[in-house]
Amino acid sequence: MDTLLEILNPNFLLRNALYGGLIIGIVAPLVGIYLLARRMVFLGVALPQVSTAGIAAAFIWHAFFHGHPDRDVNDFMIALVGSSLLTFGVIVVLALLERRKRGILEGRVAMLYAVAGAATILLVASDRITEIGILGLLKGEIIAIPDTELLILLLGYGTILVLLTVFHKELVLVTVDREMAISLGKRVGVWDLLLFGVIGVTISLGVLVVGPLVMFGFLIVPPMIAGRLAIGMRNVSVMAAVLGAAVALVGFAVAYRLDWPTGPTDVALAGVVLAVVVAAQAMRTFVFRTAVK
Amino acid sequence: MADAIVSFQDVALGYDGRPVLEGLTLDVGPGDFIALLGLNGCGKSTILKGMAGIIQPLRGRIRSVLNGRPVRFGYVPQRETIDMVFPLTVLEVALMGTYGRVRPGRPITHADRELVRACLADVGLTDLQRKPFPALSGGQRQRVLIARALAAEPDLLLLDEPLSGIDLRAAQVIMELIARLHQDRGLTTVMVSHHLKALREREAVKDVVWVHEGQLLRGPAATMLAPDMVFRMMDAEIG
Repeated sequence: MDTLLEILNPNFLLRNALYGGLIIGIVAPLVGIYLLARRMVFLGVALPQVSTAGIAAAFIWHAFFHGHPDRDVNDFMIALVGSSLLTFGVIVVLALLERRKRGILEGRVAMLYAVAGAATILLVASDRITEIGILGLLKGEIIAIPDTELLILLLGYGTILVLLTVFHKELVLVTVDREMAISLGKRVGVWDLLLFGVIGVTISLGVLVVGPLVMFGFLIVPPMIAGRLAIGMRNVSVMAAVLGAAVALVGFAVAYRLDWPTGPTDVALAGVVLAVVVAAQAMRTFVFRTAVK
Repeated sequence: MADAIVSFQDVALGYDGRPVLEGLTLDVGPGDFIALLGLNGCGKSTILKGMAGIIQPLRGRIRSVLNGRPVRFGYVPQRETIDMVFPLTVLEVALMGTYGRVRPGRPITHADRELVRACLADVGLTDLQRKPFPALSGGQRQRVLIARALAAEPDLLLLDEPLSGIDLRAAQVIMELIARLHQDRGLTTVMVSHHLKALREREAVKDVVWVHEGQLLRGPAATMLAPDMVFRMMDAEIG
């Protein structure tokens, strides 16, 4: 409790890291719901890895032409540009291949994950200073987030939250029953574009703050828990966001108390919650069946 | 037919640029109740999707105009095509039928919610509004999808195999519902089905269209559902 009070103090030194985690914890699950609903979970694994490769490539490129930048807004913007370009580029290519029904989606995504991961390692291995920065990102150590970066994250994720809320019914319709959407005159291509754009921004911006592992954790685990506990898409969405925020807050407190890396602590905590929920539901089913007999 | 609400004019339909059916000519008039029959894989669902605008014709033209405006479709897909990872409620599924009228970004109005509740009442599912859709029986899910189609306030109700995979009693209930909707609301209806017995028992079914060897054969239900016609269309052998 003391730890919670300390980290919630407005003067807490690492408050920006907490706020960044909370912002991601609230919004990322709302995006992850659509990845799960469309059975594109592996994309939630691969795209953060692609984003990281984009960051590494951007740093290497900038270091090659301009030397190593100081830790300032330009540094963040370089990373954001690299992350966004590669993430959106990959999304477009995957969408085109899927539209033309070329190959198997799971195979493409798996290959993407492997290649992006390998590319990241090879890129950072070529430059020591870049390697240090990227390693922290890969480990999910959310320690210090400058005010400007936090503001960019808040604006970006705030926009995503507004879009997902305002266009909730259209996005759910094209996700759950595409043919019905077409028969009602909906331009499913436009809504797909919006959704993929939202996914791209969520991942490319979020990876800069929390890294690929934590990004995937927040995208997928809270919606999986909410899907087991809530009925109705709106209830699932609200519960996923609340769970994400709770995991971000409690995970940060635990990591701060035990001096653990924040990101992996968050993901592990979410995993524990999921395991408890699954076990509780299995136990309830067992008790019910035993009572019936 | 001059006043057809849907008219196929030498239409070819297919997927990935490859035609499944060609040279289709078919008119659906106001107030029609047409049963679309044929062997598995002959293209019945493809024709239905062409009508609903879900797939575009590879050749020819599909005209769907009523009183100078586009026809509103109430499309009831095969239950298996709806893939729900998250448990939407019955009400949420039925509300989807209103999304064609509600502009993007606008909330569902109270009037639309009341309309949907009335549609659920029409299909006898008022008490199950808050239940998760995946937890319903096959017959109940089918009725929810019909309610969803009604919520679109359609000019034309398109049903793709609404009686498949459900027990006889549930099939009778659904067929009674569809016939009642057609008669009480004058709702033009096109239905794909294999339940010949259910179709024969309903006087509401006026015309039958057999999809046979890429051709459309249309006639009155009494003639097209006669045993010799059925055997010929299904390529069955007697004896």
